[in-house]
Amino acid sequence: MERPLILQMQGITKLFPGVRALDDVTLEVRQGDIHAICGENGAGKSTLMNVLSGVYPHGSYEGKIIYMGNEIAFRDIKESERAGIAIIHQELTMIPELSITENIFLGNETVNHGLIDWDTERRRTAELLERVGLTIDPGTLIKHLGVGQQQLVEIAKALSKNVRLLILDEPTSALNETDSANLFELMRGLKSRDITCIMISHKLNEIAEIADAVTVIRDGRTVENFHVKEGQIDEDCIIRAMVGRSIENRYPSHESNPGEVIFEVSDWRVEDPDIPGRLICKDSNFFVRAGEIVGFAGLMGAGRTELMRSIFGRNYGIYLGGSIKIKGKEIRVASVSSAIRQGIAYVPEDRKNLGLNLIDTIRITTVSANLKAILRGRLLDLDKEFQVAEQQRSSLNVKTNSVNSGVSTLSGGNQQKVVLGKWMFTEPEVLILDEPTRGIDVGAKYEIYRLIQKLADQGKAVIIVSSELPELLGISDRIYTVFEGSITGVLNRQEANQEKLMRMMTNTSKLDSNSERTEMLYEIS
Amino acid sequence: MKKKKCLSQILVASLIMSMALTGCGGARQAESSAAPAAESAASVASAPAASGAAGFAADSTIGVALPWLGTQNWKEADEMFRTQLAAAGFKAIVQHADNKVPQQQQQIESMIQNGAKVIVVGPVDGSQLGSVLEEAKAANITVIGYDRLIENTTGIDGVVQFGSVKTGELQGQALLDGLAAKKGKGPYNIELFGGGPADPNAPNFFKGAMTVLQPKIDDGTLVVVSGQKDFTQCATLDWDNSKAQARMDSLLSGFYSKKEIDGVLSPNDGIARAIITASEQAGQKIPVVSGLDAENESVEWIWSGKQYSTVAKPTDLLVGKTIEIIKSLQAGSGMPAPTTKVNNGKTDVGVYELAPLVVTKENAKEVFAKDAGRLALLK
Amino acid sequence: MRYLKKVLGGGLRQYSMVIALVALTLIFNITSGGRMITSSNFQNLISGNAYVLVLAIGMLMVIVIGQIDLSVGSVAGFSGMVMALAARDLGWPWWLAVLLSLAIGAAAGAWQGFWLSRFGIPGFITTLGGMMIFRGGVIWISKSISVPAPTELKVFGSGYLPEWGPAFTGMNNSTLLLGILAIAAFAFTQLRRRKRSAALTGKTEELWPVVVRIILVAVVIGYITWIFGTGRTGTSFPIPGLILVVLVIIYNTITQRTRFGRHVYAVGGNKTSAALSGVNVQKTYFLTMLNMSLLAALAGIMFVGRSTAAGPSDGTGWEMDAIASVFIGGAAVSGGVGTITATMVGGLVMAVLNSGLMLMGVGADRTQVIKGFVLLAAVAFDVFNKQQGRASIIGRLFPAKEGKPQEANPASSDS
Repeated sequence: MERPLILQMQGITKLFPGVRALDDVTLEVRQGDIHAICGENGAGKSTLMNVLSGVYPHGSYEGKIIYMGNEIAFRDIKESERAGIAIIHQELTMIPELSITENIFLGNETVNHGLIDWDTERRRTAELLERVGLTIDPGTLIKHLGVGQQQLVEIAKALSKNVRLLILDEPTSALNETDSANLFELMRGLKSRDITCIMISHKLNEIAEIADAVTVIRDGRTVENFHVKEGQIDEDCIIRAMVGRSIENRYPSHESNPGEVIFEVSDWRVEDPDIPGRLICKDSNFFVRAGEIVGFAGLMGAGRTELMRSIFGRNYGIYLGGSIKIKGKEIRVASVSSAIRQGIAYVPEDRKNLGLNLIDTIRITTVSANLKAILRGRLLDLDKEFQVAEQQRSSLNVKTNSVNSGVSTLSGGNQQKVVLGKWMFTEPEVLILDEPTRGIDVGAKYEIYRLIQKLADQGKAVIIVSSELPELLGISDRIYTVFEGSITGVLNRQEANQEKLMRMMTNTSKLDSNSERTEMLYEIS
Repeated sequence: MKKKKCLSQILVASLIMSMALTGCGGARQAESSAAPAAESAASVASAPAASGAAGFAADSTIGVALPWLGTQNWKEADEMFRTQLAAAGFKAIVQHADNKVPQQQQQIESMIQNGAKVIVVGPVDGSQLGSVLEEAKAANITVIGYDRLIENTTGIDGVVQFGSVKTGELQGQALLDGLAAKKGKGPYNIELFGGGPADPNAPNFFKGAMTVLQPKIDDGTLVVVSGQKDFTQCATLDWDNSKAQARMDSLLSGFYSKKEIDGVLSPNDGIARAIITASEQAGQKIPVVSGLDAENESVEWIWSGKQYSTVAKPTDLLVGKTIEIIKSLQAGSGMPAPTTKVNNGKTDVGVYELAPLVVTKENAKEVFAKDAGRLALLK
Repeated sequence: MRYLKKVLGGGLRQYSMVIALVALTLIFNITSGGRMITSSNFQNLISGNAYVLVLAIGMLMVIVIGQIDLSVGSVAGFSGMVMALAARDLGWPWWLAVLLSLAIGAAAGAWQGFWLSRFGIPGFITTLGGMMIFRGGVIWISKSISVPAPTELKVFGSGYLPEWGPAFTGMNNSTLLLGILAIAAFAFTQLRRRKRSAALTGKTEELWPVVVRIILVAVVIGYITWIFGTGRTGTSFPIPGLILVVLVIIYNTITQRTRFGRHVYAVGGNKTSAALSGVNVQKTYFLTMLNMSLLAALAGIMFVGRSTAAGPSDGTGWEMDAIASVFIGGAAVSGGVGTITATMVGGLVMAVLNSGLMLMGVGADRTQVIKGFVLLAAVAFDVFNKQQGRASIIGRLFPAKEGKPQEANPASSDS
């Protein structure tokens, strides 16, 4: 029995300055389906949903949206809500200090003679909570709820607005297994009430479990549409569709000569600082050789960054156990400055918020992680500072007319070079680069890859964390995969390909057995 | 570009001007710097009273530094100094310091800059003007304290004030009279309030009042229910009415839940009204309250029977006496002979004392017979 | 125009607040009939504002780390009072009382820094608490009565340098010596910088702009020296001013030339990025707050010296004057931006405004109103400039932090 289409998006094209975020995307969703949309980070999934929900108003994109038989043109999110489309974002958007009732009716209060009608609101909230399977007092403050419960409240809020089409953006990224299972249960319940769900997800096992249909988006285009009922979902097929592009010649060729193991992390356990009891690193073990470039692959939220920052002087999370060895000697790094002193450098993923003080000049940035090196007596030697900055500028080929210019005046690529220069000046043994090429144009990327290779050639251990698989395949000698705080495997460059990696990153059934994983670890070491 | 050019012109102009000023200022400074040096050397030796003996021009500048304009007497003083100094042909600079010590210091300095011959100072804090007044002395300026004694400095030539101990005695006596007249036979329940501790007059008021009240406390006629009888316990920081009211509120709720309060010693009218208001709000019968300054509102309250008494220190007398001294200095006859002398911690200062007047409903019309403004309130 | 630029070593914009200061002084000199630019008024200007400027030094650092300190007035009043009481009631020698007072200041700062750095309680709150605690404390320990201070302290508050040497100079020779030293130091740093930058960049700056610059600054310093030096016999550049200059040199060096100073700017600019660069953010917070209260104690001592007595309401509202100086000096409310020297100019603008209006006989009420508008205008001007996408004018007044020449502040540039 073919159910009617509730939504057709046809030929959607959305341009951002310099980027074609969506290119002629087509999406068809049947009423009452759970429809999964998957694709790599940055493939355009969220943009598509923002177009649908009116975050990007009609007119700012090309193409046609037909919803419940009518062509629609939402000017803002309010209009789409009125039409019964609700979006539940990855980051929950409720106000922690208000009660469930207040949050559900926020901006939509039931008013009686100018006063809020609390009785009605509370009664309706209780009904809604029952529908999503929550049995808690509607007066409970949001901050006292767990993430999973908060998500259910968000859904209840959507239901209060008579939602017909519910969009869930990576709904399980912050949930544990039980909460995820509850959520899926609820989604099935909604389906039986003829409410359609669109779910954005990377997790193939989840998609396989719950979705009726799958659309794969890559580089802003629709690549593939699967219907589950017309045969089982083929995970390989989805993976190929998600990554299916050849690695072009965008990576400088490089011959690595790995030496001894100089960096080794064992049994690394870290707890999430915000959610007590949740581990963000589950007994991680890995090592890097001198002169080796090691990639860390994982989807967003898998815990790669958290792992690296916890290693870098316990900058993130609560340390529970584990040891670090550099050149065979165990070291204690309780603070960032001691990590730097012992030869670890970490280039953060978010350049503007974490990597740089945008008020500073290039020269001040360059020396900022190693002021000790420019001390003369107790005072900073500003001439030396200038020399160092000049030297880094010319060796890294930073395009600027003076090291006295502010870093905010530089392009992303040049900013990243300055940050690299800053960390190279600390003369590290181990250099951890978190998303080193995010937001950087292709030319600058190439230069940064060259720099990374040069550092490896100098005998440094280099770790690269990246969400872009082609990048990792193009530049690393070895790649670890991370899934939900665990290292799920490691592959040599020769044996790695995107499909294998994606499977390990999404922890699909085929690579789940522990024995196989350990076997692989041994094989390589 | 145009803007820049403009800026550069200003800069160049300012440089040229500063050079020019260097030149002309030089001549002026050279002669003036020698003269005061000799004079100041002389003035150290001579007695302060004699320093103005030479007299000065009749249109000289006179500085008046008042603490603030927050109470009526200061506001009146401000106006009277302005009009009367101008009437006498002087150039008057009258400033108030918003009750801030640094502000007053700078104002006095600017009066010295402005070439004042006499500076009248109603101090914010009588002991914190030391070095500024010594500067004035070094510049050969006569400094007259107004209404409050100036302590801890040699740079003071005389003080014009109402006898503060005497004022206190009058307040104490008025309280006793009022209690006898209004509250029948004793013993009476009373409370005591003092003025701002930074004002050297305040402890004297209190002392004066206590010379009258203490014997009656000792013989049991008066009962200070709270037991707070030390000046520091009773003082009202900065003469702040709201602080007095807060204290009265807590006294009433703490000690008078079952008692009646018969009388309160109040150091001035603002505090008196705060006390009366607090008593009314606490549901008490209005106690007999003393006061000071004869502020308009209190004059009305006395007329209507809310406040029992006040002590008038007619501002015109104070200002009149001060201007009399200034005229004497201008004429070259020096400071007139003081009523008495007190030690301010560094030197003996001549005090020109004036006698205050007690005002009650009975004598109000007589006291204000010449004061049209206040007389109009008695209706 | 081009030549002028060369002489000044940068855009004229950098000097807008200095120009405003000079213009204000000249205007007031005219409107007050020549009473502004006189020896005694300049001396008053310095002794009467030195304590606020000392506070502003510490406040600049506090504001750069993105915090605020509301307690400085109360801490100044409290430590001043402790000193006066120790000297009067305990019979301590004045220097011991001064040391005690400074120690009290440091302890107060440590207390506030502790809550900020250890528990992350915002500086606004910890110091609002401190403001009440120490204001209450000073009233308590003084029993609301002013306490006379040791007479030796007068030197710190309103003292002058000694007279010595030949009389033919026609001025105070101590002041003259200071002026000569300042000019020499400026000339030396300028020439050395030229040589160094030649060695570093391979480009030799033309000699004549440097010479013209030195001559210009020498004339200005010479003129100022002359004004301060030719007052009444026995007067000179005031000692509180000298203390201030020494502090400005020390703190300018700390903020621009030490690791701690860099950390202060790094924490204020981007706390997370600083932490990821190995800066101990907590320690930086702690030390900056401690330093602020230490300077507050010093300011309190200087004020007590000038007043000859410590009063229960000393320091009321000083924090606001210090904060205003810092912001007029172009510091950013969000932290990370601001220099000591620019703050001093900001403070002097306020001081000149105050003094000039007083000389004109404008009352405290209207003075307050005008100062309020000036503060608003100065900051609005700065914000406006930033919004235009140009670099901030006032913030770039003294580009020392950006490693450009620092010639605008001869007395305090590094030597």
